[in-house]
Parts: sequence; structure tokens; C-alpha cells
Amino acid sequence: MPVFHIDGEPVEYEPGEKVLSAALRCGKVIPHYCYHPGMSVVATCRMCMVDVVDLGNGRPAPKLQTACSMDATEGMKVETLNPKVQEGRKLVNEFLLVNHPLDCPICDQSGECTLQDYAFEYGSGKSEMDYSKRVNGWRDIGTFVSLERNRCIQCSRCDRFTREITGTNEFGMFNRGHELTVDTYADRPMTNKFQGNMADICPVGAITEKEFRFKRRVWKLKKNRSICTGCSTGCNVTIEHDRNEIFRLKPHENQNVNKWWLCDEGRLTYRMMNERKTRIHQPLGRVDGKLEGVSWEEAYAAIAERVGDMSPLPEEVLALTDTHASNEELFLLQKLLKDIFSADNTFCPLPKWEQNESEFFINTLITTDKTPNRAGALALKIKGDAKSAKLKKAIEAELKVVFVLGNPFDAEVEVQEKVKKAQLVVHLGTFHNSWSEIADVVLPGQYYSEKDGTFTNKDQRVQSTEIAVQALRRTRPEWRILADLSVALGQESSYGSSADVFNAMTEQVKAFSGLSYADISGLGKELTQKTKDSGMKVVKAQI
Amino acid sequence: MTEETLVLFKNIRNPKYDKSLAAYKKSGGFKSLKKVFGMKPEEVVQEVKESGIRGRGGAGFPTGLKWSFMAKGTGKPSYLVANADESEPGTCKDRELMLKDPHMFLEGMMIGCYAIGCHHGYVYVRGEYFPSIKSLNTAVEELYADGLLGQDPLGSGFNLDITIHTGAGAYICGEESALLDSLEGKRGHPRVKPPFPAVSGFNGCPTSVNNVETLACMPFILGDNGVEAFKSFGPQNNSGTHLVSLSGHVNRPGVYELRMDVNMKDIIYELGGGIRNGKKLKGVIPGGSSSPVMTADEVDVLYNFDDLAKNGTMMGSAAMMVFDEDTDVVKLLHRITRFYAHESCGQCTPCREGTHWSRQIVRDFLNGNGSDEKLQRLNRVGGNMMGTTLCALGDAAAMPIQSFVKKFPEEFRKYYTTV
Repeated sequence: MPVFHIDGEPVEYEPGEKVLSAALRCGKVIPHYCYHPGMSVVATCRMCMVDVVDLGNGRPAPKLQTACSMDATEGMKVETLNPKVQEGRKLVNEFLLVNHPLDCPICDQSGECTLQDYAFEYGSGKSEMDYSKRVNGWRDIGTFVSLERNRCIQCSRCDRFTREITGTNEFGMFNRGHELTVDTYADRPMTNKFQGNMADICPVGAITEKEFRFKRRVWKLKKNRSICTGCSTGCNVTIEHDRNEIFRLKPHENQNVNKWWLCDEGRLTYRMMNERKTRIHQPLGRVDGKLEGVSWEEAYAAIAERVGDMSPLPEEVLALTDTHASNEELFLLQKLLKDIFSADNTFCPLPKWEQNESEFFINTLITTDKTPNRAGALALKIKGDAKSAKLKKAIEAELKVVFVLGNPFDAEVEVQEKVKKAQLVVHLGTFHNSWSEIADVVLPGQYYSEKDGTFTNKDQRVQSTEIAVQALRRTRPEWRILADLSVALGQESSYGSSADVFNAMTEQVKAFSGLSYADISGLGKELTQKTKDSGMKVVKAQI
Repeated sequence: MTEETLVLFKNIRNPKYDKSLAAYKKSGGFKSLKKVFGMKPEEVVQEVKESGIRGRGGAGFPTGLKWSFMAKGTGKPSYLVANADESEPGTCKDRELMLKDPHMFLEGMMIGCYAIGCHHGYVYVRGEYFPSIKSLNTAVEELYADGLLGQDPLGSGFNLDITIHTGAGAYICGEESALLDSLEGKRGHPRVKPPFPAVSGFNGCPTSVNNVETLACMPFILGDNGVEAFKSFGPQNNSGTHLVSLSGHVNRPGVYELRMDVNMKDIIYELGGGIRNGKKLKGVIPGGSSSPVMTADEVDVLYNFDDLAKNGTMMGSAAMMVFDEDTDVVKLLHRITRFYAHESCGQCTPCREGTHWSRQIVRDFLNGNGSDEKLQRLNRVGGNMMGTTLCALGDAAAMPIQSFVKKFPEEFRKYYTTV
């Protein structure tokens, strides 16, 4: 690759790449507001000005150049820290602060605001502007975000977002000169499903998430990488939390999955992470027809005893799971049935679904497929649908032991009725639902923000989550429960961590072979052997 | 005695001329076009290059060079857009051409279209120029009726259409890339350059944007012996005649067609008839409101691109605004800063905030709140806009501010010091 120099250091670039993008890729810091790698270059904030001391032909550029719009060329020498550049940044920053209200103490962006950072770095600390500032006022622009126009620095990222990323065009720039402002057209509220991204890309506090307004100062938030389990896209997110309470989800850049974006629906899943009312807080056992709190040991012992009494035949054992379970959990559940009962009766709901093609990438983020780990289930060869003959046959048998993981087939009355008749129903799950009503033993699991695990998304990419917050005291991660159960039921070896389970899975399951936990911890890795029919049907956009 | 040299105004100065197609043809019109249709497009561009004509819109970029930069072999159509959005304060030359002799400009435009291989030319006219728009529309209709536009004009096999498009009243749409945005139906915002319009302009196709006066010179340049004659009208690199819009405190304001080697003093005192009411000259804004101001002592200079540039100012659109000794320079600057604050498109930071802020500071002086510190601040804010913006409007706003503060500091001090 050709090379140019930034501050004396050689930097490789793709032909046609801009100076700023190459610099950011190499970890150089060049302040900027209007530039966003996902959108067109407008070069209007003028903050990224650099001094091109050699254009590659031995001559310097006559004046400071904006790095975002400057093509990198072979032999070019760029300086980003010399006094001329510092002076240029200072003056742009001064201009930006002329009409900025400086209401950082009540602004939610404060702490992650680049204007604040650069004002601190390049500002004089004293304003020479002694006239009243421009006032544009607050606007309620949509369900998910609010617009404080006084804080706006007219970088036009939001405008370009609705034009170039979502294609919905409901947002634009109005008036001109120093009156220039952003707003929605004809005072209509925004309708796109990706408004939260506008809050993310807004470099200042002009657009902020309503969900997060006045909730917590951002520097108090701790961040953990995770995967959004709202649908099968598996967007990379950071869970941001403080004192064991989760405040928001932010997208994490992954060019192979969600690029920079996350849908509003996904962002709102943080509410479920904080949900406590419907959570199962401790192991429950049915005593005289009523569910009562028991200890973990009692629960395991009771299950082992009942199973021992019944010594069920393979066809008398059934496991149902939903696809919100991680790969490890699905693997262990399947393994439990195989090892203890020699049974292969593991089913999960896998409805067919359609993926609409769109000229805008972002529209493919929200899918109608709300099964975050469908591909994982397919890779493990867990099959079945409510309508499939196999499942019908399985529930027709004289069921003795049924394991239910999560909330599968919740709308299938027939399945529930049959399972109800089984002699022992064990439910593993995080929330109370119709299964925990009919279960004999209820084992409390953990939500995905509380445990680690891996998920396989619709493109069959395996990605991992981190433990973000502390789980409820008397709950255990499902993989641990399943491992403990298999020990209680007579298995000898067990697993120490979710990574151990993953490693065992890569050895025993062909589809996962060749992967390692280290591989997938960053941006994930696609399965080596993909399932051909993933249940996804691509529908061409109608023109 | 300084006199006009009539090339562009040869018909307009004829009292009997009635701007119809027949009258234009009678005066020798469309001979050049006929000659051009017999040449290769590259030869046309070469002749224009040799004539040394520089764009009359303000920047003075050589037109032949501009046309030779047009991207070729892209598979996309090329476009010629005539910039008739004449909105630089003090400038009124294109209006004269479009209003009183539209066919000369349109012939020039057709020559330009042929030279760059454009089959659909656009004229972007300033929206406020109602009579000019009417005149242009009538002229275009006449041309279509005569078969000079449309399919196969003059048996050349070169199809050509011209559309008259009216602007909506924004100074910034005189900037070529903002003009193209506006022509495409978007907000008139200057674009990032590169790519220049010659590579990606109107609808992403190679486009050349030329001033009306520049195009109106084409029939003369491509006429018989045009190149040599054109070159002889001025010193090297400043060839041809140009239209000077003389306004302000002179006895005979108006648009004059002059050679490029005329002294500014002669323009003011001979053609302009001197300062009105026998007053003394205080200063001149030589090339539209965005050019740095000149004091009375500095006006003994040839009025052309290079000589003005040597004197630290610019010819711009050749709109000379003269002001006499009674003029309040601070009020004048306030008027200019107000104009730029109103006309800044607002997309880039220094110009958006700087034009408004500087206007506020100048207003402070008028309100009696001036100080030395504010004078320095005004100079600094103006200077900070210089060279830091996306398009030239930031520079255009900065240059008058800096030059006024530099050349007339006493005028500002009068407002806050009591003698």
C-alpha cells in the first residue's frame, strides 16, 4: 500500500482514502465534528484542519487544509500538531462557542461531548463574545430523541443521516447564515426506527436520547461489550451501567454486522435488563401443588431423586428451548439429554422469516426474526417447529421428564397441554411465564447482561457477550445449572466456565470446529461450516 | 480622453438596435457560430486559450483552461451552465447584456456548448432580474423558432437546447458549486472541492460554469481575427475589454466597456465625470463589496486583474464603488457586514459565526460602544474567517473588514473618542 507521513510517522492508505480517515485508522487524533466515516464528507466544521507541508511534489499547501476532504497522496507530509494547526483549531473552536449555550452542567452529552473536550483543549477559557447568544429553543422531534437546538453546532450529521443512511429524509437544515438550524420538515415528528443513532452521532448535546435524559452523568457509567439479543442480527453493543443498574445500550462499531448503528427497538431492550418484578429470584419447587422457595441443593436433589425413581426411556424425555439461549446452553441441554437419557428430543421454535433487501443497509438491521440464536440452534442440529411432525410425535409419547429452557412455544397451547401431563417438568428461565406456572421445579437463570456466552447471528457469525452487571443473588447462569444438573444426574465431569463449555463444543460439534474463545471475543467470527438453509428468505426490494 | 472600446456593447450603444434576432443577425450575429461549427471543438478551446480571456465573474480564471479541464470519456453528458446570478453588490454588467443584447450572450453560450460538447446548456439567472429573464426567454424562443436551437442548428448536426432557470434570491448561489446544487433543486450550499465541477458538477456530470460576460466575449474572439484583436485590448494576461460597473458618488455612474489598460483615476474623473457636488474622493471599493478597499491616494493604477492584485486588492467583478469625503466608513462597513451576515449559507463554522459576530461588533461602534480592544477584535474575527472556509464567501466577508480597519482606523476611533 502507498504511504504518506503524518507528523513524521509513515501511514499506509488505500488509494482514494482521505487524510483524516487514514489518520484515525492509525490511531492519530485529529479533532473533527462533521466528519463521520459512514456518511458523505461535507468539510464544514473546519475543525480537522491540518498543515500539509508537502503535497507530495515538494510544495506545501498554501493554507491549512481540512483533513476530511484531502486525498492522501504518495509522499505527502502532514503535520497535525504544529503551532499553525493549533492556532487554526483555536479559532474554529472560538467560533463554535460563540453561540453555544455552554450549559454543560445540565446537558446529558457532557462528558462524552467532543465540543467540550476540544473547548477544554483549545479554548481560551474566556469568551470575547459579549452579545446575547442565538436562541432557537427545544423541539420535540420524535419518540426517541429530543432536540435542543441552542446546543447545535450545525455539523449536519443528523441531516445527512436521514438522507444517506435511513433514506427517510424527514430531517433537514433550515434558514441560513447564523440562523441555520436543524429541524424536522413541516413540524412532523420523526418516524424512522433508528433515531437513537442521531443522538450517538451528534457531537454535542443537541440531539439526546429521551430514555437517558437527566438519568445519570456519563462519566459514572461503566461499559461492557455485549450483543443485542432483540433479533437475529446480533448488533454489537456496549451495555452502560452504574451501580448495577443499566442505563442504556450504545452500538459498538462492527463493520461486518451493524457498522455504527443500532435500532431503537434494540436500545430499549435495556429495560428488560433492569426488570425485577417478573424475574425468578430463587429456585422454586412444587410442594403440595404450590411453588415454594427451596435451596439449589434441594432442587437438584429432588430432580435427581424423581428421575432416579422414574428411570425414563429415551422417548419419554423431552427438552424444549427457545433461541434466546446461548450456544453453550443449547449445547449443554442437548448434551444432558444425550448423556443421561440417551435421548435426542431437543426442540426449539424456528419459524421461517423473510429478510427484505433494501438499498439502505440500516433497514436490514431490524429483522422480523426475533430468534437471536437461531443459527446456533441450527448448527447444533436442534430442530423443530410447532408444526413439525417430529415434535408432534415427541409430545404424543408418554412424557415423564421435560426440561424447558426459557420461554419456547409460548403460544402453542397444544404443546403446553401435553407437557403439563408429564411427571416432572423442570423450567430454567429468567422470567415467570406460562412454563413456570406448570413446572414442578423452577431454576432461576440469568439475563444475558449478567452472564457470558456466545450467540450466532443470522449470518452465522459467532459473537460473545461479557458479564456487565452483577446478577440477582440466588440465580445462576443457565450453562452452570445445566452442568450442575448433569452432575446431579450422574455425570462425573463438569465445566468451570462458559469458555470451557465453548471449547468442549468446538471439539464435539462439527459446525463450531476451528473456533476458539479468543477468536470470537473481538468482532466475532463466522462458522467454519455454515448451515445451508438458515430459514432466512431474502426478498428483493420492489421497485 | 478615455473612451469606451465597444466589443460587447457595440449593439447596445447603437440607439437604433432593438435586440431582436433579426437586428442581431443584421449586425453580424451568428457568423462566429457558423465558423465555429466548421471547426473541431478542441480547436475552439485552443483559440479561447490563445485569446487569454479570464473569467469575468470575479476569480479571473482563464476560460480556455477551464474548458480544457473538462473530464472526457466519462460516458456522462457534459453541461455548460451560464452563471447569470449576478449578485455581488455594485455589479450590474450581466444585467445590461441579458437585457439589451441577449443574443450576443446566447451565441457565446452556444459556442461554449459546442466547445465542451454540451447538448443542454443552462442559464442560471438571478431571480430578481425579471426584465432580464423575460428578455432571455423571448430570445431563446426566437432562436428555437429560427432553428438556431434544437435539432441540427445551421446544418451542423450538433443538437443543442438551452434552458433559462431562475434563482431564488441567494448571493451564495453565485458560487459555482452552490449554483449547481440550487440548479439540481437542493439548498444552495457550496460543495467540497475537489472534485471540481469540471469533473463532477451538475448531477455529477462534467460541468463548466461560466460568467455571462465571459460567454458574451466568445462571438468576438471566434470571429475573424478575433484572438489577435482581443489580445490587443490590454496588457499581457489581461486581454480583452471588460464591463465596469461604476457606481457611487460620481457624476455619471453606469456600465462602461473598457480596455484593460485604463487607469482607475481616469475612469472616476473622466468617464465618471468626477465626484459629485465637487467633493473630494475618500476611497474606492474596486471590485464588488468583497474586494479590499482603496484609499484616494491609491487609485492611480491600471484597472485590470494583475495591477490591482499587485496593489493588494482585486478586480473581482469589476464593480467600482466610489465614495466621497462625507461618507461614514463605519456605516459603510456595517452595511457590507450586514450583507454577508445575511447571505452566508451557514454551513461552515468560521463564516456562519464570523460574519454575524463582526456585524455585531461594527454595530457596537455605531452605537457608541466602540473601543480599541473592539477594533482589534474586529480585525481578528475578520482575519479568522480568511482562508479557513469552504468557499470564498468567508474570504469575501473578511477582506473588506480587514482593509477598512487597516486603512480607516481613525474613522472607527471617532466613534468612541471625544476630542
